[in-house]
Amino acid sequence: MRKIFPADALARDRRFNRQTPEERLSDPRISRPGAGNPSSSKLTPEQANGPDRARALMHGIFVGEIQALEGAGRTCWDFEEGTDVPFELKLDMARQCWDEARHCEISVALSDHMGTELGEFAENVTLYEAACNPDPVLRLTGVNRALEGLAIDVFNTMKEFGNMAGDPVLEFCEDWMLADEVTHVKMGSDWLRRLTANDKERLDKALEFQRVVDRLFSFNGFRGEDDDSPIQLTRRFRELAGFSTDEIDEIADMARETKNEAPV
Amino acid sequence: MAGYASVEGTAMTEAKRPREPFAPWDRRALPGLFDVDETARRVGHYKWVETKLFEAMGGWVATVPELDVKMRLGTHCYHHAWHADLFNKRLPELREMKPERLTIPPNDEMVAFVEAMTEPEAPELTIEKLVGVYRVLIPHKIAAYTYHRNGTSEITDMPTVRILDFIVQDEFSDWREGEMLIQSMIETDEEVDRAAAHQARLEKLMLAAGGIAGPGSIGDPYVEVEEED
Repeated sequence: MRKIFPADALARDRRFNRQTPEERLSDPRISRPGAGNPSSSKLTPEQANGPDRARALMHGIFVGEIQALEGAGRTCWDFEEGTDVPFELKLDMARQCWDEARHCEISVALSDHMGTELGEFAENVTLYEAACNPDPVLRLTGVNRALEGLAIDVFNTMKEFGNMAGDPVLEFCEDWMLADEVTHVKMGSDWLRRLTANDKERLDKALEFQRVVDRLFSFNGFRGEDDDSPIQLTRRFRELAGFSTDEIDEIADMARETKNEAPV
Repeated sequence: MAGYASVEGTAMTEAKRPREPFAPWDRRALPGLFDVDETARRVGHYKWVETKLFEAMGGWVATVPELDVKMRLGTHCYHHAWHADLFNKRLPELREMKPERLTIPPNDEMVAFVEAMTEPEAPELTIEKLVGVYRVLIPHKIAAYTYHRNGTSEITDMPTVRILDFIVQDEFSDWREGEMLIQSMIETDEEVDRAAAHQARLEKLMLAAGGIAGPGSIGDPYVEVEEED
């Protein structure tokens, strides 16, 4: 088995369809009503296509969890213990594999609960691509801080959606997954600090990579702090996971910038 | 309070009545098969094998298209990482302050086994991946751990016994799940042959290695008898 497994080789059964993020967002079932009109973009059960958007988001969570599982697994395999990464980092990644496998199970069951079939929405592999970085510090920062950070925001948003929709099963499951994600982001924050303690240049490169990934997932104001952002930036849980207030402010600013840059 | 105490007239236990230090049902014996150094050597090999296994299972997740197998590999990956961590923590207690020094394969043949086991990558080779783990390596781990658990002193080396008890319970459970996955994937005579051929290839490599801790992994059942002229 080779080291560094490319995203286009990810193994899937025939139900899965792959698309670019742009193609996926052009799916009429999940387009925000009045895209470009910020006042109507928040995900709520009352919207005409609110339930469809929630189902699409849950399917997106499901395929994201598969890729997170695959990414954590590859970090166990791709790097040599001692020379590349400490033994304990690999143990953390193995633990994350278990968590992500459970998240796959939870999200596939929740998709079924919401009336969605596997493969009903397309998959894009941007998340896994971030997990292919050959530098373990950059990989961990991109995945565990940027993408798992996004997962905190997504799960909190879905938890609130479950609450608004009167769906205690959805709310319950999202809360549990949220707890795991805080743990994963904290792992990323802790390892970033430990592995770059005497290497400012590597720390800067890792944080820059995190910004690139964060920007990618803030597209068109998709994730932000404004009331009408579909995915709400979650300050409280990010703080628990080791983000400083300045870092959260930076992501919020980035979200506003990408929203302003979005085509109307 | 000398002699019997009483509460509302009820007789209480005589506190000073002598008892044996070992209860009648406690048959644990002091001598064990392994001294401290031999135990550390074996535990180091176990950690090496568990580490190689969890790394491979993590790597394979991206390569298997079957959703249920993908999720089981992710779950079992952590089980073996936890085993490696337990062994890693045991090594300093066995006077090895640099655990990485003993985290080594028992011999080159064991390295060859692991290389062959982790070789399959293509998405069509899930049966081979599972056979290597669940029909070859895990049964050999259960055998070596059981031999160690039953042979070591349950008094002097109880920390290792406790670790092995947890681990063997995991191994049996994972073996059962893995074997059921294999059975559910084999649907043709050709696939039966594929599974058997891969198992035989790996078994021969394991035989050459002498088991996961090298020769003597499960002891020697034969008796040396001098031939009469």
